[in-house]
Amino acid sequence: MRHSLPQGALCAALLTPLLAPLPAAAASDPEIAELRASLNQIKNQYERRIADLESRLATAERQAARAARESEAAAAAKQAQAAAAESQPMTAPTVGPAAPSPAAPSGGVLGALTSGSAFNPQIAVILDGNYYHDGIGGEGSALVGAAYQPSQLAPHTHGEEAAGEAAAHSHGAAENGFNFREAELSFTATVDPYLDAALFVAIDGDGEVELEEGWFHTRGLPYGLRIKGGKFLSDFGYINKQHPHQWDFVDQNLPYLNLLGAHGLQDTGAQLTWLPPLPFYTLLGAELAQGDQERFGAVVDADQRALLADNAGYLGEENEGPRLWTAFAKVAPNLPERHALQFGASYARNNQHQEVQGHSHEVAAEHADEHEHEDEEVVHYNALAGYADIWGLDLVYKYDGGGAEGHKGFKFQTEYLRSTKDLSIRSSPHPEALGASRDFTSDGLYAQAVYGFAPKWTAGLRYDIFGMTNEVTGGPTAQDFGSSDRWTLDITWNLSEFSRLRAQYAKNDILVEPGQRERFDAFYLQFLMSMGSHGAHVF
Amino acid sequence: MMIQPFCRALIGLIALAAVPAAALEIVATAPSMGALAREIAGPGAQVTVLAGPQQDLHRLQAKPSMMRSLRDADLLVAIGAELEVGWLPVAISSAANPRIQPGRPGYFEAAAQVDLLDKGGSADRAQGDVHPVGNPHIDLDPVRMAAVGQALAGRLAQLDPAAAATYRARAEAFATQAAARTAGWQEQLAGAPGAVLYHRDALYLLDRFDLPLLGTIEPIPGVPPTGRQLSALTAALKGGRGVILYTPYQSSQAPQALARDLGWTAIQLPLEPPADADGTGYLDHIGRWVAALASAR
Repeated sequence: MRHSLPQGALCAALLTPLLAPLPAAAASDPEIAELRASLNQIKNQYERRIADLESRLATAERQAARAARESEAAAAAKQAQAAAAESQPMTAPTVGPAAPSPAAPSGGVLGALTSGSAFNPQIAVILDGNYYHDGIGGEGSALVGAAYQPSQLAPHTHGEEAAGEAAAHSHGAAENGFNFREAELSFTATVDPYLDAALFVAIDGDGEVELEEGWFHTRGLPYGLRIKGGKFLSDFGYINKQHPHQWDFVDQNLPYLNLLGAHGLQDTGAQLTWLPPLPFYTLLGAELAQGDQERFGAVVDADQRALLADNAGYLGEENEGPRLWTAFAKVAPNLPERHALQFGASYARNNQHQEVQGHSHEVAAEHADEHEHEDEEVVHYNALAGYADIWGLDLVYKYDGGGAEGHKGFKFQTEYLRSTKDLSIRSSPHPEALGASRDFTSDGLYAQAVYGFAPKWTAGLRYDIFGMTNEVTGGPTAQDFGSSDRWTLDITWNLSEFSRLRAQYAKNDILVEPGQRERFDAFYLQFLMSMGSHGAHVF
Repeated sequence: MMIQPFCRALIGLIALAAVPAAALEIVATAPSMGALAREIAGPGAQVTVLAGPQQDLHRLQAKPSMMRSLRDADLLVAIGAELEVGWLPVAISSAANPRIQPGRPGYFEAAAQVDLLDKGGSADRAQGDVHPVGNPHIDLDPVRMAAVGQALAGRLAQLDPAAAATYRARAEAFATQAAARTAGWQEQLAGAPGAVLYHRDALYLLDRFDLPLLGTIEPIPGVPPTGRQLSALTAALKGGRGVILYTPYQSSQAPQALARDLGWTAIQLPLEPPADADGTGYLDHIGRWVAALASAR
């Protein structure tokens, strides 16, 4: 041990000169002088080249700036401001090339030229409304999100919580006639050199305000890492993180609506993504979130608990968060410039899922004064709890047709989702059923294609199906489930980058309950208006 | 005694890390920026161009392979002034690369280095897809591009101080070359009548050679003309001289109809040079535009 100290000192002495070149790369005095000299040289060359007008402008600015410095009188300062405003209207003062500050590095102006930064944060508003009509009195838009599946409160319980009713009050469901779906307000900004943040607020037709997203993410992490935190739409799957106005059709597809609900996987939590240094685009990510979901990992509310009052057993309380985690991978091969392809695989687990299921018994009426032996229906409620898993595969292909205004562009997109809920009966009127395990499996698929058949015009076709697999294991009786499916056709007219009109027709075949189907046509006319800062075209 | 091998390993690691990166990785949004980067940075740098010459830089979509390219970039060279606003901010933010964030030395916007035309104006979209910050299509002006090249040399010198003098010399050589060819083009275009453009995207070229912009086929930016607007344009230009220029991603219908009615020629030319062009390739590309302008009858 006595040797370790001098050796440590030797080690440090050896390291110092090796470490020194690293910070030295920043700047030394002769280098600064050299940089300054070259800056002046460039400035001189530049000034010779620019047009007379620009020189005069620059001179005027310099005089104005000098006037401001020399005189402390407010009048002189105002004059200078006026002069500056005349020279560069509608431009953020930091981005003008004519007046670099003395401290500016020699590489020219670093910032971006953008009028949007004059408003910090950038604000955009999107209006989304429609005219809707279906052949079943307006029930259709809610019904597509309430297709029968083994794991849900069965609609024939006669309870107020019947799935169709619940969905009717959910986000985005249209009535026959005019509907204002939502106004989406978005605010985005760079918070500081380390973080970007965004806020998305939706106001629905009744004026109810809902926080869709409110998150920050890092800008400066090394090694291709990024952390996101707040409330956000998960990167699970492909369409999940799109807001409704970004969809190629008016409404969401059947698998997402029925397995994840109208909002998709939208939760409060944190996300870590990594872009590894592979030869092609690969994104790996994981999320941890609170788990407050409407479909995937739901917890029963007080009204539903009331149905269990006379039961044996106890359902259990809502667990502490975080209860939900996801993992996802996206891979995109390098293709020629007009083509883009991405594959994705995603998995999510919610550690707590509770649901109340009703089943009816035929009980012979035993009233003495009854003459007719009518059977009476008694509804019993079981409460189940456990965990829920969902996994998905997605594929997206885009082709840039090179025509005017999106003409000849093509996009194909498909996803498969499969959900498993591993539950056991925790509360039941039949004490012997307690602890029995029930596994529910459902899946769904959609495939859609959009083609730009003329400048500004696109046509889309979508097929979506839910319930190709509908399994319950451990149940006393095998039920005969079927699938729900739909064909959708739409035509979109993009008047400009900022406005869009869409007509959509869908032929629906929805399983309402075993053996009972609703077949109906649904028609939408939609408008989308975008105000404010320029929207981004996300992949 | 254990510390000695550890110390040696550490020294070895630091020595490895201290070796300067093999080559600067430069990502350019447009072929013109790629050409400039190749010219100024020289053969030592690795240049990737995100968009092809036939693609509309304003309507492009971010794609995953762009994010992959941006992830390892030391320097991003964009045209800027909101031309790439629809996709570049998304691509940068998804690329998880702190070096190329706007405000860092690794983010270079060409339009921020020179004076812009069409600056100001009202931020009113009744006027179409307007950008009050200025017309971003500076890359058709060889003189402005030479100035951008000098600013780019300064930026490269900042990122790679060891080769600062080389970058400056290359920028100076390119400026000389551009000035010489510009002088030739001045003669070639003497007395040329000007052009009708589809969009105000070749404005800087016309402005450089003092040629008039006779009209635009789209009445306001981003909005195609109606039949009536087109006949009004025809009536206004009837009997005059000129040429009609448009790009591959603009509809050829209206330019061809106008050419037929006026007896002019309509020429389709990409705004951007070939994707693998260098400085000479870029100037040859400008030469093609000059020849088209000079062909006006």
